[in-house]
Formats: sequence, C-alpha cells, structure tokens
Amino acid sequence: MNEEVTSIGGSVCNEKLSAGLIFAEGQNLTHQNKEALWEIFEAIGFSWSNTIYNSNNQRSSWYEMLKAKTENAPNYTGEYVNAIYVIDELKAMYGKEDAYKKLFFESNIDNSAPPTTRLAHCKVYVVNEFIRMQITAGGFKSWGTKYGGEQAKNYHGFLGGTRYNRISKVRAYNPDSNNLKNE
Amino acid sequence: MKNQFDYIIVGGGVAAATIAKGLLEHKHDTSILILEAGPEIIAKDRRFWWDYITRGERPYTFTYDQKFEANSTGNIDYQTDGVRVKAYGGSTMHWGAWSLRFRPEDFNLFTNTGEGADWPINYEDLETYYNDAEAYLSVCGDDSANWVPRSKPYPVPPFEWTAADGEMIKAWEQLDVVYQDGDINPGKKSKIKSGKMPVARYRKCMTTGTCKYCPIGGRFNAQYVLDDLKEDSRFINFEVRVNSPVHKVNTSSKSKIESVTYTDNINGKEHTITGDTIILASGAYNVPKLLRASKNEFWENGIGNDYDLVGRFVVSHSMLNVVGKAQSNPNGWFQEYDFPTLMSHSYNTKEHQKKGKIFMFKNRTTPNVDIAQLMIDGKTREEIDEIVYGEMTVNIQAFLEEKGKHSNRLEAKPGKDRFGLPQTTVHFSRTEEEMKNANDRLKLLEQIIEKMGLEIISSRVDKPGGHHTTGTARMGTSPENSVADKFMKVHDTDNLYICSNAAFPTGSAVNPTLTLTAMAFRLVDHFIKKKQN
Ligand SMILES: Cc1cc2nc3c(=O)[nH]c(=O)nc-3n(C[C@H](O)[C@H](O)[C@H](O)COP(=O)(O)OP(=O)(O)OC[C@H]3O[C@@H](n4cnc5c(N)ncnc54)[C@H](O)[C@@H]3O)c2cc1C
Ligand code: SF4
Repeated sequence: MNEEVTSIGGSVCNEKLSAGLIFAEGQNLTHQNKEALWEIFEAIGFSWSNTIYNSNNQRSSWYEMLKAKTENAPNYTGEYVNAIYVIDELKAMYGKEDAYKKLFFESNIDNSAPPTTRLAHCKVYVVNEFIRMQITAGGFKSWGTKYGGEQAKNYHGFLGGTRYNRISKVRAYNPDSNNLKNE
Repeated sequence: MKNQFDYIIVGGGVAAATIAKGLLEHKHDTSILILEAGPEIIAKDRRFWWDYITRGERPYTFTYDQKFEANSTGNIDYQTDGVRVKAYGGSTMHWGAWSLRFRPEDFNLFTNTGEGADWPINYEDLETYYNDAEAYLSVCGDDSANWVPRSKPYPVPPFEWTAADGEMIKAWEQLDVVYQDGDINPGKKSKIKSGKMPVARYRKCMTTGTCKYCPIGGRFNAQYVLDDLKEDSRFINFEVRVNSPVHKVNTSSKSKIESVTYTDNINGKEHTITGDTIILASGAYNVPKLLRASKNEFWENGIGNDYDLVGRFVVSHSMLNVVGKAQSNPNGWFQEYDFPTLMSHSYNTKEHQKKGKIFMFKNRTTPNVDIAQLMIDGKTREEIDEIVYGEMTVNIQAFLEEKGKHSNRLEAKPGKDRFGLPQTTVHFSRTEEEMKNANDRLKLLEQIIEKMGLEIISSRVDKPGGHHTTGTARMGTSPENSVADKFMKVHDTDNLYICSNAAFPTGSAVNPTLTLTAMAFRLVDHFIKKKQN
C-alpha cells in the first residue's frame, strides 16, 4: 500500500480513494482542464530535458490521446480532474517548479501497487501514462549523442517514418561506413 | 440460418483466412463458413492502441491458455500458457511476423539423418507457393541473400541492420559464421549472405510492422483479411461465426465426411452444419484433439487415428539463449525495432541436421533501456544518462530444430476451456543426446558473445512451447506412417483436410507461418484443379 510511505502534499494528495479508475462516465474535460493537463505534460519535457525546444510538436498526438481516453469507456475524465486537484495543492504548498520536482522525483509512490490516494492516482493514471506517451512520441530522441554518437531514431511502437527505406528509420549499421565509435 | 456450405473451415486464423481468400477470389459465389471458437477482438481502435502504448495492455491476452487449461508431462516443461490467441484472427493477432522459408533439407529429414520424418513433397513443389505467400504477406527481405533458393525477388526491400548489430557481425566474421558448407557450392565453403531478417510488412505499416496492437491495420493479422472478405460485396456466400467451437466432425461412411457440430457459446445451442469439403484449420493443438474426439462406428479411435498416430510427433523449437554484458555503451544504443534485424543460417544447413540445426539471431530487445520506466521510477536525467551510456547487455538467441518422436504426444485432458474447447496436455521428453546437442550448440553462441568482447552473464536452453508447435497430424505416404496425404487430406477420407502446422512432418529451425501460408495457397490450387477435373 502506498499511503504509509507518501511524504509529499497535504490533505488533497493524501486523501484515500479506491484503486479503480475514478468514475466519470458521461463527463467531459473543459478547455481549462486541458490547459492544466498540458502543463503537466510540458513539465515532463522540462524536467528530463528531452524535448527539442519544448513539447509543442507533440501537442496534437497528446491531444488525440486525451480524446481517446475521455471519449471512450473507461472514461479518464475523473482521473484527469483529480490530477489537476493534486497538482494545484502541490503548487500551493511548494511553488510551481518544486511541485513538479516533488511529483516526478520525490513522490515515493510505488508505481506497481494499486493506487489508493489521490496523489497515487495522479502518478499512476496520469503522470506515468503521460511519460510513456511522451517518450514514445519522440522524447526518446534525446539519447545517443552525449559522447558524440548518433541521435536515436525509433522506439518500440513509435509510429513514424515511411513504408520505404529511403531514409533510415533507425541508427543503422552499414558495413561500408565508419561505425567504429565503440572500439 | 444457412446450414449447408461448399467449404466449412474450422478455426479463424491465417490458415483459414488464406484458404477462404484464395477460393473466393477464384470463384466469388463459393459458399464458405468459418467457425471460430474464440471471440472477435476489436481491431484498429485508437483507444486500445493508446492503452497499449501507455499501459502495455493488449485486448486479446485474456484468450491465452491459462496454466490450468494446458499443462505438460515429461522431462521438459512444454510452455502452453500465455501463448496462443484463441480469437477471430488466431495467433497472428500477436505474432512476430518473421517470415522465413524452410530449406530444402527440411523436407528430407529422415532420409538425411535416419530420424524424424520426410515430407511427401519437396522444397521445389512448394517454391512457387512461397512466392505467393511472400507477396500476400508483403515480406521484406534481401534479394542478394543466398541462404535459400528462390525464383522471385522479395516483394519489399529489407530492414537495415541496427547500429548494435555491427558488433555481432564482426564477431561472426571472425568465427566463420558467415561461411557455409555445402548446398550453395557443394564441397566448398562459400560466404553466405543471410543476415537480414525477412518480416511481413503487409500493407500500411509505416515503421516496424510488428507492434502487438496496431491502430490502422498496418501489420499482418489474419483478422484484417477476414474483415476484407466479409466486407467485399462480391463474396455473398462467405460467413464467419465466432464464439462457435466445433466439437465433432461427423461421417456418413468411412470416407465420406458429412458435417461438423458446434456449440454457439452465446446461447449454448448446438448446430450441425454440412459441407462438401471440410478443412481443419484450428491450429496444431486443436486439429489432433478434434480428430480424436470425432469417434464413430467407422473410426473407433477418432478420425484418422486407426494407427494411433494423431497427436504424436509433436515438435516445437527450444530457444537457445546467451546474454553478454559490456562495461559501457558510449553510443547509447538500444534496439530500435521490435524484432531481430540480424540473423544467420550458417548452422541451418543439411550438414547440421543430424545434431539439430539452429537458426541464430541477435535478439529483438537488446541492447535496451526502458527509458520511460526509469522516468516513471523517478530517476533524474543524469541518472538515466548513466544507465543509457553505462553497462550494455546483448543477447544472441537461436531456435533449435527438433525431431518428432512417437512418444511425444499432445492430447486432450478432461474438461473444457473458457471457449468450450477441450483442455490440453503435452507429453514431452528429450533424450540425453538431444540435451547434449542443445548444450553443444549453446557453446557456439557463447563463443560469439566472447568474440564480441562481452562477459557472459547467462547461457541457457529455454523451454519449447506452443508458439511453433508442429507435427501433431503429420503428412506422409500412408496411414501407417502419417495422418494425412501430400495434399493434407486425412488418409482414407474423401473430403477432410488439415491446413495447419499440425500437418508438417518436420519443424525446421525457422518459424512456421510462411510455410503454412504457402501450403494454404497450394491447397487452394489443389481444390481448384480438383473442381476443374
Ligand atoms: C507469440 C507468438 C509469436 C509468433 N511469431 C511468429 C513469427 O514471428 N513468425 C512465424 O512464422 N510464426 C510465428 N508464430 C506462429 C504463428 O502464430 C502460427 O504459426 C500461426 O498463427 C498459425 O496459424 P493457424 O491459422 O494455423 O492457427 P491459429 O492462429 O492458432 O488459429 C486457429 C484458430 O482456431 C480456433 N479453434 C481451435 N479449435 C477450434 C475448434 N474446435 N472450433 C473452432 N475454432 C477452433 C482457435 O481459437 C484459433 O483462433 C508465433 C506464435 C506466437 C504464439
Ligand atoms: S509501426 Fe506499423 S504495426 Fe506498429 S502501429 Fe504503426 S502501422 Fe501499426
């Protein structure tokens, strides 16, 4: 169980909830809700420095995910609204920058356990899923170059490129080229 | 409800879809009924896809055999749980799409080694059907490859090797793994070009073609073929019934197969449907179980089982697996595709048949770092960098060819699964010599890992399993040595066919589905010629 080790947030974050998805059939996100959620998504890119300039080139994919998750059952609207409450409390307590730092790096939430607090719901159903989406949709590309290597081009399940192989879709080995960086 | 058809096909996987497509394209008003025990899983759905991407969930995994539904006995654990998809589309819902031809010697295993069996046909009999199958699946591959004879180029160019493949290629060159004795230039060692994995690309896939759930129908999945047939207004007499497990094949004499009986899982009602031709395309697990369950006055031990051979000679592939570790990964490599891009057939040749051929490949997931998981776990950018550019593991794997033994048998055990199909038990043992051969083969893989300058951290023979189960109702020349003839017609029947890996007398060292698809094309051709005569 998560609650014993939870060490951040106040009464909202630590309020107990059952582990299942928060019921929200028939509910929709408002424009303001979406803007608040986008801030969480953008904070991922800032916190791990893995976007090119910012997250804007992922906005349409992210939005499409939000739509798929709120317009089809099971409806995530309740989880998304909960996440906004959680982040609002964290920001009120720690200020914006530290709120995300606490949420991403210091939440102490067990990501593989059923989430039983508002904070755990926010981490498991929203933050963790946003992270997977962010990495798959291009966040992975910021790895590879640290020691002069090539930028990563593809990730498991990444939808990109074309059907034809004119442009390499992965960091490729070509026996004729200089590929000796590892030697 | 219509209860008489030209063709009844039991099972709704790739074998069924390929036959139906072939017959319907030849004659649009052919009446065909496919009976599939499992449900229809929603395909091409954006929400399911996002759940796959963000949560790793796949909507069909609930159809897998559970441990209690399928077990094994013998000195080797045979993995059945969590493998087969029982649903409209069958196991192509989640297959890897690796699409390799068997090699000529696979058709003559007994002649070459005194063990296992021969096919009643040769590679040459199947070669043009392999071309058809590759065109249908859009197999991408390297036309300059010479590891297997082919009369037509691949329909789609190959995937490139990934950067990390290069290190293994260099090790192979040092160990002569790129050279092959025999078939290509008999008596000479010639360099083989076999390195690029052929993969089914199907039609719209933009990147990898192997995602385990695709939102646009890009990867190959038999479900999409069946959908296309159902939606095609020319095919007015084509029907698929899901949730419809067949539990008996009925005959009116020894040779004349008349009908099948199935239960509608939605309302529990039983139906008997007659067909001129009946094809069992229900997979290597269910073909033998259904034949043995179909007992009557003409076939006291089940159809095709007068010589007690149904379900015997079961083979699969064991996976040989060696993992090596490098101290660092300065290029931050991770396997960017979800399938192996590098393969070798040097030990998949006639010379290696006696000991058991292997088909080697650099595995599909290493080197790898699950960056998203590290972020979820709260690791900082600096900590993740240390992991990405730090220790790197590389895994070489191989499928090991096995030979069918009379004592290894797959059969029904009492009780039904959740879809109304009989539960399964597999009796599977290996001899000491087979164990030794497997371990000898492992040594070769270990040498490769060592040549790459890596430290071996694990070396093992993984268990065989349901993925590539083969041989359980095999073809042959007579009822004394087999269940079906060279057209996969059950011996001593006029109109009962098997279209399944079950009918393969050998399993080669490579994946079975391209060969199965080629056999389905050949069967369609046989039906058309039979009708014309
Ligand atoms: C994880 C995995 C990965 C694989 N990857 C590859 C790969 O990369 N390359 C490759 O070549 N092969 C691969 N395979 C093997 C491939 O999936 C099979 O060869 C192929 O799916 C067999 O097709 P099929 O139509 O014969 O049978 P199936 O796909 O098993 O379909 C048979 C269908 O029949 C139904 N059925 C069974 N009994 C009855 C009954 N009595 N009445 C009605 N319906 C019935 C079942 O529910 C099932 O849906 C893989 C398999 C697995 C499990
Ligand atoms: S990469 Fe191919 S298989 Fe994967 S989701 Fe995209 S189109 Fe589908």
